[in-house]
Amino acid sequence: MSTKQSTLGQLIAALGLDTENEWSHVVRERLVAYALLGLYVFVIWFPIYFIFITSIKPTSAVLDIPISFVPTQPTVSNYVEIFQNRPFELYTLNSLIVASTTTIICVTLGTVTGYSFSRYDFVGNKTLLLSIVGARMIPPIALIVPFFSIMSNPPLVGGLTGSLYDTRIALILTYTFFNLPFAVWIMKNYFDGVPESLDEQARIDGCSRWEGFVKIILPMAKPGIAATAILAFIFSWNEFVFALVLTSSEQAQTLPIAVSLFVADDFVDWAHLAAGGMIAALPGILFGLFFQQYIVSGLTQGAVKE
Amino acid sequence: MSTEKQSLRRKLDRLFVPLTVGPTMLWIAGIIVYPTLKLLWSSVFWTNPITSQKEFVGLRNFKRLIFAEGGSGTFLGLAPDFVSITWHTFVYVGLSVSISFALGLGIALLLDKDLKGRGWFRTAVIVPWILPYVMSGLMWRWMFNSEYGAINGILTQSGLLSSKIAFFSDGTLSMMALVIADIWVFTPFIIIILLAGLQNVPEQLYDAAEVDGAGKISRFVNVTYPFLKPSILVALTIRIIFDIRALDLVWVMTQGGPGKSTEVWASWLYRTAQVFNRPGEGAALGVVLLAVTFMIVALLYKVFGESPY
Repeated sequence: MSTKQSTLGQLIAALGLDTENEWSHVVRERLVAYALLGLYVFVIWFPIYFIFITSIKPTSAVLDIPISFVPTQPTVSNYVEIFQNRPFELYTLNSLIVASTTTIICVTLGTVTGYSFSRYDFVGNKTLLLSIVGARMIPPIALIVPFFSIMSNPPLVGGLTGSLYDTRIALILTYTFFNLPFAVWIMKNYFDGVPESLDEQARIDGCSRWEGFVKIILPMAKPGIAATAILAFIFSWNEFVFALVLTSSEQAQTLPIAVSLFVADDFVDWAHLAAGGMIAALPGILFGLFFQQYIVSGLTQGAVKE
Repeated sequence: MSTEKQSLRRKLDRLFVPLTVGPTMLWIAGIIVYPTLKLLWSSVFWTNPITSQKEFVGLRNFKRLIFAEGGSGTFLGLAPDFVSITWHTFVYVGLSVSISFALGLGIALLLDKDLKGRGWFRTAVIVPWILPYVMSGLMWRWMFNSEYGAINGILTQSGLLSSKIAFFSDGTLSMMALVIADIWVFTPFIIIILLAGLQNVPEQLYDAAEVDGAGKISRFVNVTYPFLKPSILVALTIRIIFDIRALDLVWVMTQGGPGKSTEVWASWLYRTAQVFNRPGEGAALGVVLLAVTFMIVALLYKVFGESPY
């Protein structure tokens, strides 16, 4: 009896359940909260678990009946084979180049522009900001027709570059379309939270606007820049629609396209698809596990209104 | 410091705003404004599929998509495809958004409690939203697979069902699978936004309400909701406009099928423009989508009685 009670007491202490006044009420409420959250996490992670075990089953075992939910002979052969039989190293490289270049462009422009929007009351400030908010609402898919025609036959520079169809440049340019307004908006909101007295102090210390921005403000903005960069990278890494419209070969196709290519008309190669899917999902899972606070703060900054 | 240097510094300082804002604005003009104008322009042309000759047709592309030929015997003279695809879009967006909102609000309220391990739960809950939609869509297609999928496996191997369900051979079940995948992907977004909003509710107000003997529901309506309203508005707006435009899940899970039973605006637009190679009509659909998006945003802000700026 007494040991039982002390075990329960330990459990309660371990879960951080205080044994104050209405302890039974509080304990019950917290246990219910844990149970519901636990159930929810279990249900949403189950599909990820299932696709993961599919990826480490021997290719033929994927179609075994009854379905086994615990892999008995785990193997990495599916992962090896997609790199041997398909140019997965090229798809991965394309994804990396496209996502990181887009991120660098958007973060650089977004940071300096966001700062000016936050600090200076210049002519057209409100109109420009409004147009950035409006631009964020444009559905990218609405623009597949003009983007296809622009990339196939670029205006102004067309004579120099020729068609940009099926190039990484086309994807990078297109991806800035939905990432740049977002980056400006997050950074503007972030700089709004950095005290203006810092700018004034820098001015008093004899810094020019440029020096003050680079030496004093920019170091303060690191968390905001990290949040913007992570989100821009994820959005670009995951993008599918424009990659579908603007690319046709492994010289520009990215991982989401590569994964969708496992679906043939009638037949789906599930084992290899699962392996490819896990590779495509890896950065997201890693960012989610290790940089969650940046994703949350970036999204929150990006969502708040004026 | 020499005066020459100082005047140069002042000149550079005066150029700060133009140099930091100008390039971004030029970029946006080229990559957003120009394509949008080109969209409007393309929507009033018809391209001959053989000769690629363009012909000005005014509003004929819109008319062809929206109104039935002859215009008789159909609902309001609208084209049957337009009516059914609009209905599918409405069902898909309506069910996905409302269910994921209710679920997301519930989870956000639980995560707002002072629980140990809260950070761990938060991380676990957010991940589905960060994965590529294509991978998530295919993952759910695999889950719902008629022979080897986990859902059929669980239902038959546990003895709940005697025979397997061919989810993707049935229009209603296919739509249900899409809605479930959509909820799975986008509920984390609702949770993040609402959880941030919940941080704005002053703790003392809860205590005061408790002292006044307010019940849980009354506490939510009178204390939480007024502070949460801006976040709810943002979450709903973004969720709805992103769902109307979403192609990824539909395209990798059902491609609008079986038949046309899960065809939504986004897949219709893609099919018209790319698969059927009718850029004029694709552009016209793009214009419609753009207009609908702005109308929905305006409507939501009106309903909530808030100004977006």
